[in-house]
Amino acid sequence: MSKKDNCETPGDLSKPQEELTAQPKDSSPVEEKPIVTEPVTITRKRPESKSSSLSIEEEESHTSDKPEQDSAAKSPSSWGYWGSWGKSLISTASATVATVGHGISTAIEKAESTLGVPSPVELSFRDQPEVAEDASTRESAESTEGETSSPISGALGFLSSISTAVQSTGKTVITGGLDALEFIGKRTMDVIAEGDPGFKKTKGLMHRNTTLSHVLREAKEREEQRVNSDVTTETERQAHYGLLFDEYQGLSHLEALELLSKESEGKVKSILGALSGEELAKLKQELESLKEVFSLEEFDDDEEVEKGDEDFIKELSVLFQDLHISMRPEKLTNARKAAYRWINKVEEEEKKLMAEEESTDPKEEEQQKYTVEDIHESAIRSLAELTACSMEVFHKTATLILHGEASVAAVSRGKALSQMTITLCKEISQLSKKITTLLTTSGASEKSDILNPLITGVFLEASNSASYIQDAFQLLLPVLEISHIQSRT
Amino acid sequence: MAYAYLFKYIIIGDTGVGKSCLLLQFTDKRFQPVHDLTIGVEFGARMITIDGKQIKLQIWDTAGQESFRSITRSYYRGAAGALLVYDITRRDTFNHLTTWLEDARQHSNSNMVIMLIANKSDLESRREVKKEEGEAFAREHGLIFMETSAKTASNVEEAFINTAKEIYEKIQEGVFDINNEANGIKIGPQHSTPGSPGSHMGGQQAGGGCC
Repeated sequence: MSKKDNCETPGDLSKPQEELTAQPKDSSPVEEKPIVTEPVTITRKRPESKSSSLSIEEEESHTSDKPEQDSAAKSPSSWGYWGSWGKSLISTASATVATVGHGISTAIEKAESTLGVPSPVELSFRDQPEVAEDASTRESAESTEGETSSPISGALGFLSSISTAVQSTGKTVITGGLDALEFIGKRTMDVIAEGDPGFKKTKGLMHRNTTLSHVLREAKEREEQRVNSDVTTETERQAHYGLLFDEYQGLSHLEALELLSKESEGKVKSILGALSGEELAKLKQELESLKEVFSLEEFDDDEEVEKGDEDFIKELSVLFQDLHISMRPEKLTNARKAAYRWINKVEEEEKKLMAEEESTDPKEEEQQKYTVEDIHESAIRSLAELTACSMEVFHKTATLILHGEASVAAVSRGKALSQMTITLCKEISQLSKKITTLLTTSGASEKSDILNPLITGVFLEASNSASYIQDAFQLLLPVLEISHIQSRT
Repeated sequence: MAYAYLFKYIIIGDTGVGKSCLLLQFTDKRFQPVHDLTIGVEFGARMITIDGKQIKLQIWDTAGQESFRSITRSYYRGAAGALLVYDITRRDTFNHLTTWLEDARQHSNSNMVIMLIANKSDLESRREVKKEEGEAFAREHGLIFMETSAKTASNVEEAFINTAKEIYEKIQEGVFDINNEANGIKIGPQHSTPGSPGSHMGGQQAGGGCC
């Protein structure tokens, strides 16, 4: 029975949030039976997000010792607790739960809980990099989370009072949040739809003959529509990842790459169709080994050393050498430079202000300071631009491969591209780390309900970026396949 | 930001006829005498107004080099308009028009509006192809014709906008099925009803609530 409940979770979660909060007890009878220990067991079997949220709530009900909360806590409607995070987050989370299987949902939720109000508290209590561990050791993740999350829930009701905690634990939040984010990033193929609320349906649609860029374009238009219809908050209007990504021609490059990919795929199919017997088996085997290169391994993203412009440029040029493609990705490297230049400028400004803090009148400071909204907007812009430039790099690479520049073994090109994907994803991750750190330090005086959505936004769009990059990489497989076939003859 | 329609264009023609320069002049209003060879395709976008409606032009500027031809063919599909460009100072670019046209017709949808552009009209002294020849070719093949100069910007706006007007008229006449995106046309956000995008039938939705 409890299993069944689990299955139903996604549906429940995707319900409008108000509904859930409004009638917390309606669905509770369904779940009333499980004993306290059961959620943990369920969790082990099916580490879905609900189980974890359940255990959190379980814990909470014990911490708070309020019997009437018990039933509410056990019910799926316990999501109502996350209400203050805003609707979009909730729907994002629910979409995640609905589409993604083991582990991921944990990570997402983890990320979300790490980003939102509760986790600063959580992390401040814990003060350790456990999030990363959680992510990799999924088995125990749930139970750990359940236990350790308990302090959060107590605080959940008193959001306003913990803004100070947010300030003091800012650093921790970021580390924790990013670890989770990176974990997500590694599987973003699965999560693409969830990164941005507007892109929610991407994954589902992708499997129905619709092309990715097409879906993304639609999502972007929905977003445009949303912008037009509700221009409520400042930041919403200013920083729209999807629109910016299109502005930088990211969508066009992706669409073009997709056209090339599809065409190559068709050619490969017809060639395979014309072959038979041993020849076919041999080619299939060759293509199989090429395909293996495209299964991205989990990459270690614990590099402590921050990469500078020069390192990044060097790394890229080595990769292009491996690819045997003459291309100077100047747009990409320039976009990166610009992003970091801006960050450094803001950082210096911050330092200056810090130094002056005691002597100057605080009101004056306020005026010349970059607002968190400024930082957020610039962050989203940088992410969109870097990602769009990455799309261009992949698109041009496909073009040049098809164009027949220097014939190199497709497998080694695939390896170089895989490395390129990792490099670019790390780049995105590093940038989002920098930005969120900046947001936290300069937003120290902001209320958490202003700062947290901004930080969450950066994380989500960074995971979006990683999705785009990894998708683009996958689109190159058919291109390399046809190039391989052509080089054989 | 919001537009009523989005039209996808492609620019085709021999290498060096000024395709990328035309695009740059149209999108950025500037001229760059030396241009890198286009690899595959580059992009540009600009908003224009026709009949009081905002229309976004999404332009695919293809590589003219013969060696890229098989790649650029992949991009023809889903274009609502094409600018077929030749250079009035190089007769061979005019002679190749037939091949370009065949290619375009074969790989695009049959309703695609094609504008024949005779570029570099500023270089009158080096002219090899008379205006009348271009006009005759256009007439013969049912194309719109225009002489332009990407350098002086003469007729550049007009070339892009007139093509859009033609497409727009075809939409009004119901020639284009705007709900089929393979035609290179998209209805802008404010046109589609939120609940049921693309569900409305009939040709007069253009007269709808917008603007």
